[in-house]
Amino acid sequence: RVSSDGKPEKFQPPPKPVIIDKQKQREERRFLSPEFIPPRGRTDPLKFYIERKDMIQRRKVFNIPEFYVGHVLAVTTADPYANEKASRFVGICIQRGGKGLGATFVLRNVIEDQGVEMCYELYNPRIQAIEVLKLEKRLDDNLMYLRDALPEYSTFDVNMKPMSRLDHEEVPVNKLQVRMKPKPWSKRWERPKYNIKGIKFDLPEKKMKEAQKWSQPWLEFDMLREYDTSKIEDKIWKEVSEGLKN
Amino acid sequence: MRLSVPAAISHGRVYRRLGLGPRSRLDLLRNLVTALVRHERIEAPWARADEMRGYAEKLIEYAKLGDTNERAMRMADFWLTEKDLIHKLFKVLAPRFQPHPGSYTRLLQIPNRDGLDRAKMAVIELKGNPFPPLIRPHRDSEKTLLNQLLKGYREDLQWAPKGTPV
Repeated sequence: RVSSDGKPEKFQPPPKPVIIDKQKQREERRFLSPEFIPPRGRTDPLKFYIERKDMIQRRKVFNIPEFYVGHVLAVTTADPYANEKASRFVGICIQRGGKGLGATFVLRNVIEDQGVEMCYELYNPRIQAIEVLKLEKRLDDNLMYLRDALPEYSTFDVNMKPMSRLDHEEVPVNKLQVRMKPKPWSKRWERPKYNIKGIKFDLPEKKMKEAQKWSQPWLEFDMLREYDTSKIEDKIWKEVSEGLKN
Repeated sequence: MRLSVPAAISHGRVYRRLGLGPRSRLDLLRNLVTALVRHERIEAPWARADEMRGYAEKLIEYAKLGDTNERAMRMADFWLTEKDLIHKLFKVLAPRFQPHPGSYTRLLQIPNRDGLDRAKMAVIELKGNPFPPLIRPHRDSEKTLLNQLLKGYREDLQWAPKGTPV
């Protein structure tokens, strides 16, 4: 380069490289398991506090991984009547229910053409290991409609290898639309009360319009039904992370 | 043995049953909320005013979030049937209640209605309204013995030279 005043140019050092701290980015995404959030009601918060202490105690001893509905998990439980005193079940998580120590999750799989659903409690001391085999979120919070879907959507290989963990950034959402068996179903999934986005309905237009008769459009404007958990979640997140650090 | 909850038992239910059904209940409350925002002090049956109080306070909390918030605008659009009141809600009521963290309404009971039903009535008003106040707090009369003694003590404190015990 030619300098304007003819003197030798001063040495300009190259710009410093920007270090993206991956650890900081990981901490920014916080996952609080839904069973920590207390339900809305008139119970004494002391009860939830004591339960949370017990839950943190259990989590210190046994690692419960972060998982959502739609993940494929493998659970090994202690079983006195099995060969190696442990039994393993692989399945897709279709629902997570309950709050506190009684929190459960239901795994579904189709074994030898028979659909099997197992409901496990997260804090059961008989559970020896929970492994996440496949990480993917689905469009809904509740995949009970897999009971009425074609069996190919619920079959998972029992000897599946755990998928390689991605960057701890986002959990991928699988926008799969599931095809159903012919009606009758166990529940009328086309009704707006279930609010299911993950089914490919092959019903005629008339049936879909008739199902919309049961929609309640005023429900989303009913302000007193909303339960804002952001502040509660912040407090509980602090408590849980303090407890787990020790 | 699984028994479904009969509809007659209402353990833990918080919403009253007004009007013809849930839609009708919300419509009734919506009319009352619109009237409250318009007139800032209304008389209504006590049960309806009590239900409406929760919705009115939540509406003001939404209005505090601001004009540009999409959800706040949709809520105001649904709850206020007269559209000129949306402007009043965001521009007049939201700034008025900005410093307060909660409780923007006052509910006071009134003598029963004059008609045949003798319904329990109440008046619900937004705080800071331009009308004269409904309850005037009375000060104790000055002529009671205790007040006269206190008045005498205060005067002694005033007139006694400094340092002397009273």
